This record gives sequence, C-alpha cells and structure tokens, in this order.
Amino acid sequence: MAKMLQRSLTAGLLVAASILQGCVNATVDEMTFLEPTEGIGDASVVIMGRRHAPDYETEFDFIECIGDHIRRGDNSISVLHELEFINMMYPWFEPRTAPLRTDDIDKLLAQQRVADRFEELKLEYMIWIDGSTIETNSSGSMTCGVGPGGAGCFGFGTWGNASDYEATIWDFTDEIEVGRISANTSGQSYMPAVVVPIPIIAPVQGTACDSLGDQLLKYLSAKM
Amino acid sequence: MVARLLDLITSGLSKYQRALGALGVALLFTACGAREVVVQGNFPKPLMDPLPLTVAVIYTDEFAQHEIFDEAAGRAESDWLVKTGDAQVEFWNTLLNGMFESVVQIKDSESLAAHQNTVDAVIIPAVADLQYTIPLHTNVKIYEIWMKYRFKMVALEDVHGNENGDLSINPDRYFADWTLTAYGKTPTAFLQSDEEAVNLAAVVALRDAGANFATSFSRVPDIATWMNEGLPPAPSEEAENTGATDG
Repeated sequence: MAKMLQRSLTAGLLVAASILQGCVNATVDEMTFLEPTEGIGDASVVIMGRRHAPDYETEFDFIECIGDHIRRGDNSISVLHELEFINMMYPWFEPRTAPLRTDDIDKLLAQQRVADRFEELKLEYMIWIDGSTIETNSSGSMTCGVGPGGAGCFGFGTWGNASDYEATIWDFTDEIEVGRISANTSGQSYMPAVVVPIPIIAPVQGTACDSLGDQLLKYLSAKM
Repeated sequence: MVARLLDLITSGLSKYQRALGALGVALLFTACGAREVVVQGNFPKPLMDPLPLTVAVIYTDEFAQHEIFDEAAGRAESDWLVKTGDAQVEFWNTLLNGMFESVVQIKDSESLAAHQNTVDAVIIPAVADLQYTIPLHTNVKIYEIWMKYRFKMVALEDVHGNENGDLSINPDRYFADWTLTAYGKTPTAFLQSDEEAVNLAAVVALRDAGANFATSFSRVPDIATWMNEGLPPAPSEEAENTGATDG
C-alpha cells in the first residue's frame, strides 16, 4: 500500500513537472522598413550569430531555433543552415572576418568566387543575431542521497535567466540595413525537491526565440 | 594485485556494494589520470581566388608532431596532453591548397630535388606558443585555446638537402618572417566532456589562424614587397645545417 502511494506520488510529481513552467517576461521592439510585400520568392535567407565579442557569443542552438521557427511558419522560405553557410564561405564569416557593417559587403563581393557563391545561393537577406542568455541569480540548496532502499533529494533551488538579443536584417542585394528587432526576456526557475526534484523551468531563451522568430517571419513571409 | 586488494577490502559486502565500491575506486583513479586530446576536425577549403604562386611547404617534425603537456598543479586537477600536430598539418594543407595556385610539400632531399625550379617560395610554419584554459582554471564556463604561429619564407635555392636526407636553411636567408595569433573558444555545453570542448576550441582556433593568415598574407610588408616588386632574396651565404628544420 505504501509502495503504491509512493509510486502514485512519484508519477504525480513527474506529470506536474512536465506541465509546470515558470513565468517569463518578454519585451519585443521592432523597427523595419522595405518589407518584401510578396515574400522573398525563391531567394534564400541566412541567419547568423555574432561571435566576435570576448565575453559572450550568440548560441548556435538559438540561431537554429529561430531558423526552425521561420521554416515551420512558412515552408516556402529557404533558410540556410548557419554552420553549412559558414563552412561554405570560409574564411569570410569567421568571428575575425565576418562583416560588421553593410559597407563591408562590397569588399566581400570583390572576391569573384565569393560573389559567384552568393549568386548560386540566391541570397537575399542576411540576418545577424547578437546577444546571449545568462544566469542572473541563483540561490537555495539541495541534497541528494543514495541508499539501499532507494535514492532521493531534499531541498529547494531557484535561479533567474535573462535573454537579450537583437536581430539586424541586411538586404544583401541593395547592401542596406532594412530593420532591427530586439527581444528581451527574463524569468525565474524553481526546483523544489521532496524525494523527487520538480523542475519548474522558465523558458527564457525559448520565449526570446519565439518572439524574434515571429517578428522575422512576419517580415519575410507573404502569408502573414 | 589490485583485484586481490579490492577483494580483500570488499570481502563481506554484498555484490552490489562491491560493485559500487569498485566503481568509486575506479572513479578515484580516473580523476587522477592524464587527460589526452588528439585534436580532430573537418576543415573547409577556403573560398578565395588563388594567388598565382607555386609554394612549397615544409612541416618540421616539431610542427607535425606538435603537442602540449600541462602537468597538474594540484591533486584536484589532471595532467593534460593536447596533441595538435596531425590537425595542424591537415588544416594547413587544406588552407594553402585553396590559397595558392599550386602547393607542394617538401619533406627531404629527394622531394627538394624533385621540385627544383618549379617553386616560387617555401613556407615554413611553426607553433611558437599555445595556451589553453578550462573552466577549472578560470571559473568561467568557457574553454579557450590561444596559439601563436611563426611563419618564415625562403627561396627554394636557399633550402639545402644533406646526405642523410635532412634539410638545412641558413637563418639569414629568410625574406619574410612574421607571427600571427589565433584564438578559439567554446562555451560549456550539456553532455560535452572537457576533452570534446578543448578539441572544439582547438578547431575554432585553427580556423581563426587560417582566417587570419588568408586575409593578412598579402599585407605582410615583406610579402607585399616580394609579390609586388618581385625583389630577389638577399645574396646567398653559406647554409647552416640545422637538421630537419631551419635555424
């Protein structure tokens, strides 16, 4: 009877853990112009992270998340895979050599092979994402133990995360910047543990990804 | 011996307790062992218009077998051995083949003789310094590798083959001698071991070195002079035998 109760309790806690989520605050700012009213047709878009700062780098999985978000929203938009693009264009998009301003596009196109590759790819928009997600605070303590009768944890932990990202959209054909979108999100996650730890995670980075992804999709897609 | 010792220590305990004990002892010994990283990666060919030059490259033994050994500073740390030699050769072969119209490798007197009068210049790369940090050192969740390279260029006529097959170069004959630095970092990632992260940081550093080399090569003053004015190297002097490498 006691074992059944324990199993039910564990199952209940696991279900609760999968349902419960921490709260996230999100702020999105948008400033775009020259919107492609009929979508981007058969042209392609590449989304890349800025990684030249010494103290942080935009996460590869965050860039992938935004790309997936756009593909899911409108499968007619061809979003190039970041790593494949960087390898294809080596050494022109390494942290040391990546163009920082639209004026630098001309220098890139001066290399005939680079210009030919861009034409092959039909690259219309280059979107740079700059920012990262950091842990802002953490407190609490938890103790876990293993014994002959089983294992368990006891305690409480909490931590905060904050995401701060800015997307800069370059129109590659006209070599101009056509928009900036920023997303700031923050949230507090909790992990109470009575035998089983129950993570109540605030999806801070995921919300930033959805927010930026939605705005970029709205800009690029003819459907929205 | 160790098995007998373990048996002696754990006699009287249950099978599971013995297994747990053995695991604990194994972990204890693992923590003290040396950690080895043989750097591996896939390196893309550079996308650039090749310079109309035929260059030869000499990878010295020191370069081709480059490694760094870092002895543990305390009981909580491990020795580290980072072998970059194979990756260096693979990477620079890929890069140089994309940068120049033609690239040949000179290993000994035989290959030197085979390429007489067909090569514009010889490049000799060397790793002058390599430093790395892991989160244990810095308390920052980033793995970093910093490398300093020294490149030298010499005319093929100034590379001499010895009877034993070794190559020798007079140090006064280099017409270009410059250094460049490279940096690679990778943040900690879920389910990524220290070794994987150090490897990734080394690959990023190699790519950075390549990007630096490719974009700055023609701007190195001595190289620019050589390429623009085609100035011949300084008058020949008696070559100094320096074994398999340069002076």
